[in-house]
Amino acid sequence: MRSTIGVLGLLAVLMLAACGTPAGGPATSATAAPAATTALAPATAMPSPVGGNAPADTLRWSLEGVSDLSSIDPAKPGDAPTITAINLIFAGLIRLDEKLEVQPDGASGWQVSADGTTYSFTIRDGLAFADGTPVTAGDFVYAINRALAPETASYGAPFQLGHIIGAQDVVDGKAKQASGVRAVDDKTLEIKLDGPLAYFLSQLSYPFTFVVPKKLVDSGVKWEEQSYGTGPYRVKEWKHGQALTLIANEKYWRGKPGIPNITLVFNKDSETAYQLYQTGELDIMGSQQNPVPAAHIAELQSLPDFKSAASLATRFIGFNNLKPPFDNVDVRRAFALAVDKKALSDQVLAGQVVAADRILPAGLLGTQLPISGLALDPAAAKAALAQAGFADGKGLPEITLAYGQEGDNETVAQAIQSMWEQNLGVKVKLQSFELATFSKNLDTTFKTPAQGLQFWLSIWGADYPDPQNFLSQQLHSDTANNNGHFADPQFDKLVDEADRLGDRAQIERRLQLYNQAEQIAIDKVGWLPLYYPKFNILLRPRVSGLAVTPNGLVAPDWTKVTLK
Amino acid sequence: MLRFFTRRGISMVFVLFSLTFLTFMIGHLAPGDPILVLMGPRQDTETYAHLRHLYGLDQPLLTQYINYVALLVRGDFGLSFSYEGRTVRELIAQGLPISFGVGGLALLVSLIVGVPLGMFAALRDGTLADRGLVALALGLYSIPSFVLIPLIWMANLAIFRAGYPNLPQAGWGTPSHIVLPVLVLAAANVGYITQLTRASMLEVLRDDYVRTARAKGLLERTVIVRHVLRNALLPLITLLGPTTAFLVTGAFVVEVLFNIPGIGRIAVEAVGRRDYPVIQGTTVILGIAVVIMNLISDLLYHVFDPRIQLTE
Repeated sequence: MRSTIGVLGLLAVLMLAACGTPAGGPATSATAAPAATTALAPATAMPSPVGGNAPADTLRWSLEGVSDLSSIDPAKPGDAPTITAINLIFAGLIRLDEKLEVQPDGASGWQVSADGTTYSFTIRDGLAFADGTPVTAGDFVYAINRALAPETASYGAPFQLGHIIGAQDVVDGKAKQASGVRAVDDKTLEIKLDGPLAYFLSQLSYPFTFVVPKKLVDSGVKWEEQSYGTGPYRVKEWKHGQALTLIANEKYWRGKPGIPNITLVFNKDSETAYQLYQTGELDIMGSQQNPVPAAHIAELQSLPDFKSAASLATRFIGFNNLKPPFDNVDVRRAFALAVDKKALSDQVLAGQVVAADRILPAGLLGTQLPISGLALDPAAAKAALAQAGFADGKGLPEITLAYGQEGDNETVAQAIQSMWEQNLGVKVKLQSFELATFSKNLDTTFKTPAQGLQFWLSIWGADYPDPQNFLSQQLHSDTANNNGHFADPQFDKLVDEADRLGDRAQIERRLQLYNQAEQIAIDKVGWLPLYYPKFNILLRPRVSGLAVTPNGLVAPDWTKVTLK
Repeated sequence: MLRFFTRRGISMVFVLFSLTFLTFMIGHLAPGDPILVLMGPRQDTETYAHLRHLYGLDQPLLTQYINYVALLVRGDFGLSFSYEGRTVRELIAQGLPISFGVGGLALLVSLIVGVPLGMFAALRDGTLADRGLVALALGLYSIPSFVLIPLIWMANLAIFRAGYPNLPQAGWGTPSHIVLPVLVLAAANVGYITQLTRASMLEVLRDDYVRTARAKGLLERTVIVRHVLRNALLPLITLLGPTTAFLVTGAFVVEVLFNIPGIGRIAVEAVGRRDYPVIQGTTVILGIAVVIMNLISDLLYHVFDPRIQLTE
């Protein structure tokens, strides 16, 4: 009998955790923001310790939110920590610099055909894997086909590389090689697309096409444990559940990296990382996804370690366009016009974010062209609601805003809820979901809109810095990311054309088109953008040569990153 | 004796079987989808369908369960969904010794501290010292670890800033890393054991044979050690099973915040990612641990008090 009780106790814990009850039991508090992050009151503002025990040859870099990396296979970049690790070990043809512009990496140069569909990359002279094996165009052919192959089970490569001719055949298992990817000779890689694609080079900076040594991948299941590529570092030891230790790649094409070793330390909880930083055991903590805990910011702001930057992400409210009441554009407008974004960013979130009046986050290509956003206007909001046939909210069905349990979501949802009640006279219910449940609900909304959510608080961050990644990929009527089924023929037409304007000379026109499309998405409220999050990190002054960009920490040149 | 083991063996199999069934069904029926977690916010219906097929999630639930059990009886816990190419067995093998090490040490510490405290309180029943100890025990028992840990961190950080040698705030690998987690895990248990020892002692102290022993003119120390303590500690044995479960559930928070690569943190992460094979594997293993500890406590009970029969 007693054993049954013990076992049932265990089960109860599991159920609690699985259902994600907002009660905040120990299991849930560990997965969501733990109570610990707020429970700690800073004693006094102290200068960061110089860290007498800090190893002179090792950069200690904390990756938060995970207790281990799910993978370091470039074909499977899952979350942000995975991508950080992959970018240190592997590299591709193209990289993004600290201004988020494309720069040659494994390719020393490239040429695009007049029709914009054929790219010829020249493989850099002397490019070699960390084990010394020279890299040829054939290695890239292998890596791209491998990322597409069904047995690789990549989460995103088939989608992102879908415009390469023949890619779909490999995805479907009909071919081993995409016909559009060819090694003309050892030094020349040719990629053919099904049409001009303005953001293609930008996409190549994302891990999917990074070159991986076939010899290593074929060597066995555990190849990741000693993986190497053409990046500045290679794996020395992967202590699962603790840290990934990297050593400098002596064969790196730019020269020997300035820091001999990097230890990527996994910290499931950001508060833990903060404690380790404070006691001198870390050199870097915080990222866009898991910034320095908000409770400590006041204490840290004056330190040279504290770095803050706007991230290339937009927090927004999405609407189910196929379910009442948000199938009506006037209702969407009414809700948009009743939100005071300035108060939200400056007061509710204490200036830790930047209020958004457009979909594209500040700093992204295309934001130099202005957009007229929907500012707070309670009278117009009420008029729009009346126009929709719900004067003073009469006749509206019960409305529920859904959000995932992370970060400031609860605070934000509550603030907007009260704005709607105050400015629009509509009472909105809130429903929070544990993250995996939230993503399942979005999926249901996409697949069966009638049973889906009405509207939800969500966030989108750039995979690569291009307007296409936000507009076409989120709001085009036939993209699978368009959970709410926003559909506007004019919008589709504009982004379709813009996506295909690959020529550098056409950039002006391309951005114009995106700008018009974005204005439509604002006016018809495809999204209701709320704010662009800032992210805060701690970077010890002894580290020099790293740049804090909207895309996270970027090393313009690893050979010049050093430790004092 | 043989009959006892046969019966217990059968009931153990039944308990574990039910455990796999419930965990499997609750896990799979809970909202959420491991493939969506893997794919992140990017959606691509075709890739989604392909991955679901690859992970066997497109089969009927009962078929999936039968396949799972068929592998399980051969000791194969399957592959983790979220950790590329790693088996559940490997994950458990990595985490279990660590969790049991920390949990076992915590149990030991709490016994070493809790039993004498409980005795001391019982022998001074009603005094100020007794009341103080009772309050302390209650406090330790009721303070949740996610409150205790930040307090300990603050103290440790203050020590560091004052320039004195401090313990590591978190991490794993050296003996010094074990101290804080063991202290936190033991704290609540100390409270519990102190209370239990005290209550049990008080009860025994009132028994006739204790009065008889004293009346015989035995030394007080002999009375306490030979007559009172032996009998008073019997209920502590019952604690073994529940305490194991208690330490394991406590480990969920402690392992996450102290960065200990134990089975508790693996289980927490698996739940968040809907990594079904890992959720099931860890639950089954922890279930086995609880069942075994209960068996041991029953046996010990019999050893210490032969009047208690094992035929039950």
